[in-house]
Amino acid sequence: VTGPIPADSSLPGESPHPIISGTGTTGWHRLHPLTPVVRAGNRLIALVVVLALFFVARQHKDGSQIISYLVVIAVALAGGFVSWLVTRWQVADGVLRIETGLIRRDSRRFPLSQIQAIDVVQSGIARVLGLAELRLRVAGSDSARGGRLACLRLADAEELRRELLAFSVSAAVPPAAGDAQAGDYAVPVPGAVAAGTGAPGALGDDAAERPLFRVRGDRLAAAILLSRAGAISLAVIVVLSAVVITTGKTAAIASFLPVALGIAAAVWRQFNAEYATRVAAAPDGLRLRSGLVQTTAETIRPGRVQGVRLVEPLVWRAFGWCRLEVDVAGPKERRENRGEGQRLRALIPVGSRAEAMAMVDELLVSRPMPDRQPPRQARLKAPLSYHFLASGGDDRYVVASRGRVCRKTTWVPLEKVQSIRWVQGPVQRRLGLASVLLDVAGRRVTADMQDRSAAEARDLLMGLPDMARRARLAAGRAAQPGG
Amino acid sequence: VSDATPGPQAGPGRQDRPDADITWQRPSPRLLRVRRIEVGLVTVPAALVGGLAGAGASAVVGVVVAAAVVVAGLLAERFLARRVASWGFAERNEDLMVRRGVLVQRQSVIPYGRMQFIDVTAGPVERSQGLATLRMHTAAAASDARIPGLDTAVAAKLRDQLAALGESQAAGL
Repeated sequence: VTGPIPADSSLPGESPHPIISGTGTTGWHRLHPLTPVVRAGNRLIALVVVLALFFVARQHKDGSQIISYLVVIAVALAGGFVSWLVTRWQVADGVLRIETGLIRRDSRRFPLSQIQAIDVVQSGIARVLGLAELRLRVAGSDSARGGRLACLRLADAEELRRELLAFSVSAAVPPAAGDAQAGDYAVPVPGAVAAGTGAPGALGDDAAERPLFRVRGDRLAAAILLSRAGAISLAVIVVLSAVVITTGKTAAIASFLPVALGIAAAVWRQFNAEYATRVAAAPDGLRLRSGLVQTTAETIRPGRVQGVRLVEPLVWRAFGWCRLEVDVAGPKERRENRGEGQRLRALIPVGSRAEAMAMVDELLVSRPMPDRQPPRQARLKAPLSYHFLASGGDDRYVVASRGRVCRKTTWVPLEKVQSIRWVQGPVQRRLGLASVLLDVAGRRVTADMQDRSAAEARDLLMGLPDMARRARLAAGRAAQPGG
Repeated sequence: VSDATPGPQAGPGRQDRPDADITWQRPSPRLLRVRRIEVGLVTVPAALVGGLAGAGASAVVGVVVAAAVVVAGLLAERFLARRVASWGFAERNEDLMVRRGVLVQRQSVIPYGRMQFIDVTAGPVERSQGLATLRMHTAAAASDARIPGLDTAVAAKLRDQLAALGESQAAGL
């Protein structure tokens, strides 16, 4: 289904468009009937496993016990079924509406123009059943923490995602130059990610995807083993075997079991999330897909990148490996998603430096490198990290690197800078040094130009606000149609 | 980034401080009184509790503990005047500059267009002195900018002024 929206089409509200060709028009839709199974899925599996364990352990012959367990499962499924029955969604007038709730009706509106990104997420059970969940990321308030459409058929989900994104782009073209707030959210930085923003009609065309990167599975496994989690598990194994050999008691292993399980879970989670990471450039942004059991597909729209970070741990450097992460502005993650929310999005979980540099070129218009070292007296203040301290920049980006054993290089676009801080501690004052930090939205990325000479830091603090303002203005001009 | 090459022997001099040619506005002098009351409110109960707990062992220990707490409070009081005097803010054309700190000195620049919302808060001690604290929030969690010890009326006026400036210069994320 192509369903192209003509490039010069009016706003979606003025003429009815087929949203999902094949399932009908913009009327109310239900989610897929197997939704309760997927939603209850993980809990259901856990429940069944626990019950089975009980059953085996106690060797029940009492049938009533089993019946009561079955009743519990049936009630859980029935609740999910009712929730499915009263949930419906609709796209109309450029707004996605999701209504749910039996007793307390909950109706959410998502103006398509405010959608930042749409992810397609598949849990393990959903993959077996061929279903997928759509997650909408919306700008601004974290209380309205985005919407979920769970579950749809995978093909429907992908089609709907494409069409919603196409609508969101066409709806977000700023109607007037004064409306900077609304317009800026959809601003493509010229040439930043996609090769041109393309006409809206070209959106959603998968043929236009240009593959950029694909992680190698063996390298990912090796890299995770060589990271901190790997080092810890190695230490645990060494300690364990030492204890067992010296005391001859295998019972000691039991006390390490919780630790081992925790580490294994963390390693597994990372491997599962980053396995088969693929990045491709498409007209509507960078497409990022990953996952082994639970797969995720998301689109990082151009002009949404708040910061880029290159991480080079000690052991990885020996192999010439590194990790490239981006920070994208969005609502705070809900509690249940905290695990994935804490990490930055890893575009390259592990890759060669050349791959990382190519990806940085794809993300940024220019790629300044941190080439200016701090003055020599900084060695006294930061003897262990002096070798990695450096900063640089041009009129679009500031880049800073630091770290003791693990080098972290951070690029921050000047147009995204939220505040600039100058900090001077007592030792720095004695040595004539100062640090300048640039903050961008979120809590994870800060460009820290550590231990510059006091004169340079002063010039930075005095000069950067003007440069950031000019960068903002330039980005704002690029946002206006025909401008 | 600035191309200015720093003098290799740029020593720790007044001219390298970034606040040299800025006219700073200061918090109200009553802020010092607020901070003194706050230190007193912590020190006196702490000295009493510590003294009583120490007196459980012996009277001498109790007196020593109480005296130590009081001395610590007095030392903090010595430091307060400098800390309070270090606060300053300057309204520039495009941004607000805030500075603070004695031992670790900080100076922040927040563009008006980046301010998402602005709070005026006042604790009980501040309120008793007719003062309030102005907090500016941006989308970045790390940019912590506040101005304590403003006259309540001044704080309200500044808040409205900053909000208006922020609205007129607002920029998207």
